[in-house]
Amino acid sequence: MLRVDHVRKEFGSVQAVRDVSFTIARGSTFGLLGPNGAGKTTTMRMIVGIYPVDGGSITWNDSPIDDRMRRRFGYLPEERGLYGKMKVREQIVYFGRLHGLHDPEISQRTDAWLEQLGLTEYANRPCAELSKGNQQKVQVACAAVHDPELLILDEPFSGLDPVNAEILLKTLTELKKRGTTLVLSSHQMWQLEQICDEFCIITGGENRASGTLEQLRAGWPTRVIKVEPPSDALRGIMERVPNARALQGNGALYYEVPLGTPYPALLRDLVAADAVTRFDALEPSLQEIYLHTIEASTP
Amino acid sequence: MNEFITVYSAEIMRRLQSRTFWIGLVFGIIGIAAMMELPRFFASYTIASKHVLIAGDPKLVASARPLLDKDFTIVGERRSTAAPSLDELQSRKASAVLAITGGAHGVKVTVYAKDPSVISASRLQRDLVPLNLQLAARMHPEQVRTLMQVPVTTHSVASKFGTAAQADAARVIAYVLLFLLYILIMVNSQLIMSSVAEEKTSRIAELLVASVNPRALLSGKIASSATLAIAQMIAWVAVAYLIGAQTPPPGGSPAEGGDMDVFSLTGVSSGDITGFVIFFVIGFVQTSTLFAAVGSLINRTEDLGSVSGPLFLPVVAAFIIAMSALAVPDSPAVVVTSFIPLIAPFVMFARIVVSSVPAWQVGLSLAINVAAIYAIAVIGGRIYRVGMLLYGRAPRPSQIWHAIKS
Repeated sequence: MLRVDHVRKEFGSVQAVRDVSFTIARGSTFGLLGPNGAGKTTTMRMIVGIYPVDGGSITWNDSPIDDRMRRRFGYLPEERGLYGKMKVREQIVYFGRLHGLHDPEISQRTDAWLEQLGLTEYANRPCAELSKGNQQKVQVACAAVHDPELLILDEPFSGLDPVNAEILLKTLTELKKRGTTLVLSSHQMWQLEQICDEFCIITGGENRASGTLEQLRAGWPTRVIKVEPPSDALRGIMERVPNARALQGNGALYYEVPLGTPYPALLRDLVAADAVTRFDALEPSLQEIYLHTIEASTP
Repeated sequence: MNEFITVYSAEIMRRLQSRTFWIGLVFGIIGIAAMMELPRFFASYTIASKHVLIAGDPKLVASARPLLDKDFTIVGERRSTAAPSLDELQSRKASAVLAITGGAHGVKVTVYAKDPSVISASRLQRDLVPLNLQLAARMHPEQVRTLMQVPVTTHSVASKFGTAAQADAARVIAYVLLFLLYILIMVNSQLIMSSVAEEKTSRIAELLVASVNPRALLSGKIASSATLAIAQMIAWVAVAYLIGAQTPPPGGSPAEGGDMDVFSLTGVSSGDITGFVIFFVIGFVQTSTLFAAVGSLINRTEDLGSVSGPLFLPVVAAFIIAMSALAVPDSPAVVVTSFIPLIAPFVMFARIVVSSVPAWQVGLSLAINVAAIYAIAVIGGRIYRVGMLLYGRAPRPSQIWHAIKS
């Protein structure tokens, strides 16, 4: 289990991380969300030991993280980079060795990763000759070749085309099945929604919201009701719901209503007023929760 | 330790696969071969230019010939003192005719040469003084020659050298080794700086420092570079030794009065070699750690030149002071600088080769400089760790200070 407990990081007069806390169960997948400059990358760098913490603590399985433990972690930084002249295979083998792998295991794992990411045909080519997307996949292989217990990926989907993004998503799902604890940051919310078990939204270096998607939704103050057909009779009923607000929409009525609105009573009133063909209570998406949280935390 | 070995091996392989290493090695070999062969080539040209004919009265020529033998190669004689034709000079393979005539005021020499600059008038004057005295005082030439020579015997007092020739030889050897030390430290420190800058600008640095302890990363780089620098030096010295062993120095061995040939390594003691390796390692680690730390602070490889400039200053200063140390190894300024980190590896090494340095001074210098390695490694390592992840504008001094303190 990874426990990040009230960590703090300052660079001179700049407070990059003020107070961030979260706990990630072993084998689960965690999404770290936040706008640019929120402190996500600094938090990730503190977890992998690139930066020492200025306050608070970070533990893995209740022990402080040392160099030996860190070798069992994997990290894909936001800033991409490879040795341009080094061949793809050599590069992956090198990072495997840095993480303590030896032959013949390292060769087998390198081949498996090349195949998994569709890089076999590029194995003996210098990295500089690869496309940006393929270079990114090589970096993923470098970060994960040693089968890490904890894999931290900072913006892993940025710059990938849909095909490569899908390959990466499948790869991460595979790692998740194998029990790897994953920490991801991304601005592609739908991808995080697909793979992550829990989330933490930070802005200004502080926690703003955290939990599973259900827990985040439970804290969301409104829901959207979709009703068809968009008749005047049905609109009249919806307008009478306390604090309801009409939203723009085609072919249906969309109303934002407060959490706790009694749906059965509302549905009975609607059915009594007209021939209702559709009634949906829409749950907020991760993107909506994220945007709302950011907006709420902006002074 | 495993991390260090992995980085060390990978860096060795990267350097061996780079063109820069092989170009440096091959150009070094070519340069050394040229340095050794060119003096011999020019010496042979000079010898050819000293091939002369002596002209004049046969008795006078017979008396002059042994006196001129030392500085000129006499290829023939002739009676006529008239100017020769170019054809005559070429057919007799001579560069000049020395026409000697005698009179009431002694001998007079007229030189007819293809290139007048190659015949030294002062040498001719010096060589023929005995003949002048012989004619004026009517003394036997051998008697005159004996009187012209004043025996001088030199005895060393508290010196490691028995003779002046040995001391001179040591100075030349020290000069060559210092130059080698300077080139190896400068070139390889810059290569480390470029390598660090490449890792930073290619943005692989963050992936690396997350995978391996920065100390292991930095020390692996420095150790691999030092290993290859020593290998490079061994290759250069081996080539020099092979060429030197095959071709004798111009003019015979030093014992025969010929030029000293430092590349034959006959004058290099095992102590000099040990001292060279020890001070190379100390100087290399100190300088390359600084270069690596500063290399981690730059954001563009174009900045390498401007940033490395100030770092060259202590090394250049050390080289210049070491040159002075060859002449005055015990002057107070030289003694003091032989303890100062970054400078001591050059100056103390120069002192050791050309003089008898007290053991306590050598020990103190080593202790100070090994301690300095530790201090530079700690400070440089911290700057490197922070600098590798600083992108955008160049870090302010306060940020660097913060990195050192953290």
